[in-house]
Amino acid sequence: MNDRNRNIGEYIPADDDNIIVCRCEEITKGEIRRAVHDGMFTLTEIRRYLRTGMGLCQGQTCTKLVKSIVAKELGIRPSDLEPATGRAPMRPIEMYILAQDGEDMK
Amino acid sequence: MKRYDMIIVGAGPAGLSAAIESAKRGMHVIVYDENAKPGGQLFKQIHKFFGSKEHKAKIRGFRIGDELLAEASALGVEVVLNAIVIGLFSEKEVTVKIDEHVEHVKGDTVLIATGASENMVTFPGWTLPGVIGAGAAQTMMNLHGTLPGKRVLMLGSGNVGLVVSFQLMQAGCEVVALADAAPRIGGYGVHASKVSRCGVPFYLSHTIVSADGDDHVTGVTIAEVDKNWQIIKGTEKHFDVDTICLAVGLSPMSKLCDMAGCQMEDNPSKADFVPTVNKYGETSISGIYAAGDVSGIEEASSAMIEGRIAGIAAAAKLGFITEEECNIEIEKQESALEGLRQGMFAPGMRGKIITETDEGVEVSQNLLKKGFVTEEEIERFPGVTHSEGIHPVIECTQNIPCNPCQDACSKHCIKIGSNITALPAVNPEAKCTGCGMCVASCSGQAIFLVNEDCGDGTAEITLPYEFLALPQKGDKGIALNRNGQKICEAEVVNVRTAKAFDHTNLLTMKVPKEFALNARFFKKEA
Repeated sequence: MNDRNRNIGEYIPADDDNIIVCRCEEITKGEIRRAVHDGMFTLTEIRRYLRTGMGLCQGQTCTKLVKSIVAKELGIRPSDLEPATGRAPMRPIEMYILAQDGEDMK
Repeated sequence: MKRYDMIIVGAGPAGLSAAIESAKRGMHVIVYDENAKPGGQLFKQIHKFFGSKEHKAKIRGFRIGDELLAEASALGVEVVLNAIVIGLFSEKEVTVKIDEHVEHVKGDTVLIATGASENMVTFPGWTLPGVIGAGAAQTMMNLHGTLPGKRVLMLGSGNVGLVVSFQLMQAGCEVVALADAAPRIGGYGVHASKVSRCGVPFYLSHTIVSADGDDHVTGVTIAEVDKNWQIIKGTEKHFDVDTICLAVGLSPMSKLCDMAGCQMEDNPSKADFVPTVNKYGETSISGIYAAGDVSGIEEASSAMIEGRIAGIAAAAKLGFITEEECNIEIEKQESALEGLRQGMFAPGMRGKIITETDEGVEVSQNLLKKGFVTEEEIERFPGVTHSEGIHPVIECTQNIPCNPCQDACSKHCIKIGSNITALPAVNPEAKCTGCGMCVASCSGQAIFLVNEDCGDGTAEITLPYEFLALPQKGDKGIALNRNGQKICEAEVVNVRTAKAFDHTNLLTMKVPKEFALNARFFKKEA
């Protein structure tokens, strides 16, 4: 799957490419499909490249949708794609609150 | 840093049940929930639950939530609300955001009971205001007392789609249609039937093509799909709606397990990415447990049992009970869980096509495709018999784990037996007194009392009725059949309301006797 030389064919524009998939970051289906053809073969790469799932809802809405779009573009099953890494903070948190974390332990 | 015997993330059915079991055994437990109200999804569930008497069947979901909360607080469990767990690190250190602080706490055991989130589907217009998850619709109606809209299209025929469609109608919305891309209805047939008899058309093998509207939904177009889920041109149907509800499945919110380093699996039978757990609900990390939807999408009733098991197992792990006690207790819980995982809708049955019930009765294909059992089909089920005088007619045609009707009848008219998923059968020898307890006890609203021939050319049908305004004795209206079509005139001859019925009113209507086997709902004429 990580074989970067694998030929997945050309990006072919589709009618529904302008549909927004990640609502928080306003990323369209077409952008995600093009990113795959730009060489982003894993969900972690897609996330860093486009910021899908990095917004307010933290991927609660689009994770599954992005996964199926990328899998389809690569011609594999969605379950073959490794999910993007889960890390703290699990929920959006204001920077000033996060910055205070640990103050009381000094 | 504060230390607890058990830290529970999520105050839903699984989390609260685990808290109760562990606190009962002397553990110092804290439960965090990110919401302003505890109970997870339970407080949105205004319908009666399925299952067995021992596991809260025929009790409405929100009451189960009340009971769990009361039990937990009596045991001294601390439930912290608006508390957002943002991380789970090594040595079971939990970081939680409360007000404007991040607190660090440690648990000797941790239970992740974070539940699930709703799936979405995309189509042109899906980001318009008015396209909402079915769970969101429930939150608006049942928690906040706000109507999501006036005219609704529901996408998804699983139990969520069916239950929420019915609740939308109870709240006063019009459900114009229920569509699903699958060729067969996914949820319980009894849920589909109660929606169908209110006149909601089912469109199976249909999906949403697009939503119309500039700044909010004003309409929706659906169309038929072929075997490859491709839209068949020329089959489009348009509805004027202001709301589109999506009930297209749930995904476990398992990210916390993943970040903690628990071994994960992509398991389609559990509906996605879940932690691998053993029979105690313990993940690959010793002392970290997962229970409820986060470890595989199921019903609230199984989530509660999974929670109990995790609570008991954690108590044994920390030495609050012996290994032996633990095994005895867990065995009991497991057999209950096993019971709930039987029948046509068991987790292992996903995607399988069922043609016969366990009893060898051919299933109703019309029920799976249109949402109601036809007059011809209904006759072959053991709950449907004909006799003189009043008698129960049980239109329960699928093997589901539920048996309150059996105990509801003090005259032993109804038999399910020891196998909880068996179809209820009517014993023609026993004498029905018309008390109506069976009608009110059926969570699927599938039991009717019928007197096929009152001797004056009429028949009387008693049906469960959960709508406002409640019709009164003497009201005239129309009888609807199982498909929600008007079939004849009807007059309400009795309306019974009792505490024991728990808000399921028993409406008795009189119809010409030739409609005795068809008339299944009453609609007051405007």
